[in-house]
Amino acid sequence: MNWKLRLMWNTRSRILQKGLWAFFFLASLGLQAQDDLLSELEEESKPATEYTFATFKGTKVVNLQTNEMPGKGVLQYNILHRFGAFNQDFLYNFLGLDNAQVRLTLEYSPTEWFNFGVGHTGVNKVYDGFVKYRLLRQSKGEKNMPVSVTGFSSLYYSALRFNDDLPRNTSDRFSFVHELVIARKFSQNFSLEAVPTLVHFNLVETRADNNTIFAMGLAGRYKFTPLHAITVEYVHQLNPNSYSVPGSDDQNTYTNALSVGVDIETGGHVFQLFVTNAAGVAEPYVFARNQGSWADGDLHFGFNISRVFTLQKPKQAP
Amino acid sequence: MKSKIMVAVLALCSLQLSAQKMKARDGMVRFFSETPIENIEAVNNQVSSVLVAENGQFAFLVPIKAFVFEKALMQEHFNENYMESGQYPNASFKGNIANIEEIDFTQEGEYEATFTGTMEIHGVQQTISQPVTLLIGENLVTVKAKFMVKASDYEVEIPAAKKDNISNELEVTVNVEYKK
Repeated sequence: MNWKLRLMWNTRSRILQKGLWAFFFLASLGLQAQDDLLSELEEESKPATEYTFATFKGTKVVNLQTNEMPGKGVLQYNILHRFGAFNQDFLYNFLGLDNAQVRLTLEYSPTEWFNFGVGHTGVNKVYDGFVKYRLLRQSKGEKNMPVSVTGFSSLYYSALRFNDDLPRNTSDRFSFVHELVIARKFSQNFSLEAVPTLVHFNLVETRADNNTIFAMGLAGRYKFTPLHAITVEYVHQLNPNSYSVPGSDDQNTYTNALSVGVDIETGGHVFQLFVTNAAGVAEPYVFARNQGSWADGDLHFGFNISRVFTLQKPKQAP
Repeated sequence: MKSKIMVAVLALCSLQLSAQKMKARDGMVRFFSETPIENIEAVNNQVSSVLVAENGQFAFLVPIKAFVFEKALMQEHFNENYMESGQYPNASFKGNIANIEEIDFTQEGEYEATFTGTMEIHGVQQTISQPVTLLIGENLVTVKAKFMVKASDYEVEIPAAKKDNISNELEVTVNVEYKK
């Protein structure tokens, strides 16, 4: 009796076991099918090339351009301020505010890869026009590109009045800047750029001076919250000119611009607050005619504010 | 007994294999955020989906970068600051139609279906059960749904400074058409 029962039990458990196996097998089949559906979709809809975006928050780091430009159909207005230096009666001048230099620019992107604009700067009464164009975009996937490359070319006209009665040509008032921004977004928070820069003055101070100054800009940003980033920027001149120090026979070399700042993003605005030794605001004077030095405390508070207006909505927009 | 199980397994296997997959490539998902200060809206017309009529299994894939906004910068911020689409390129929803037995894909008409499964947004998974309208036509099956999604449920952080502009609760509208 006993052995019979056991046999029956054994048989039953074997069947049960088989049934369970079958059940698990079927269950896993079901699960697998569901996952397959999703991975099937993922496989099919993978974009061939994925382009990097938002390498920097603003179109400028501080003085250097970034690889970014306003989106297609977007008008951007910028207000740039450089306050008086820390070492020039800082408190008397209301933290430098009383000596603030202003630059205004207005730019528009008719396409995703091209941007143009105009600007005016108080220093030397400079009017300028500029173009910015994407040459390469950082991407991965089918098209693999380690860096974004963006060109920037600008023409400056100084309308400053001269009281020295020396004969001058109109062409003497022009200067030019070209920047080639080579940028890479290393991670969501960290980006760097190298910017070979060329500055050309049609008129220089002495015969010995270089009309064309070559410089290398380096800049980086680190995002410490989604809306805030720290930026550092340095522009090193390779063949800087010198200037004579008033009241002495000394010759000083024009200094390199170093700036440290914070980017704050608030929807349509980017606020950039920083400290820089360059008060010139417009590029030629920042990169190649800068007399301020960090060591001497020739530091200026400054800010860049940008505001965008969408003139032309994307076609698919709701 | 053994052979019966084998038959059952084989039958089910063959069912899986022969299961007719209905596919959609250009489905639409739209979301809408409403606050007293501003309304924000974005639309995505690149939603892909598979629906299996026989067993009610489904999957939706929503590429985050394909959401188009009125303002280019909004789109950038959406991707960069909120959805972190570099890290989480897609949102998805996969699962089963809970009441599949009530739906006859051969019978034209409007059905109320319950889509149950796992929704993944911003790398965070939530189990949800969502009433959906299924319109079954001669050649097309349309899935329509409207529901609320809480950004905080998916760890999408809206900074305090933006709380007046961006609602934590977003109205999501879905419209996906499958060829039968």
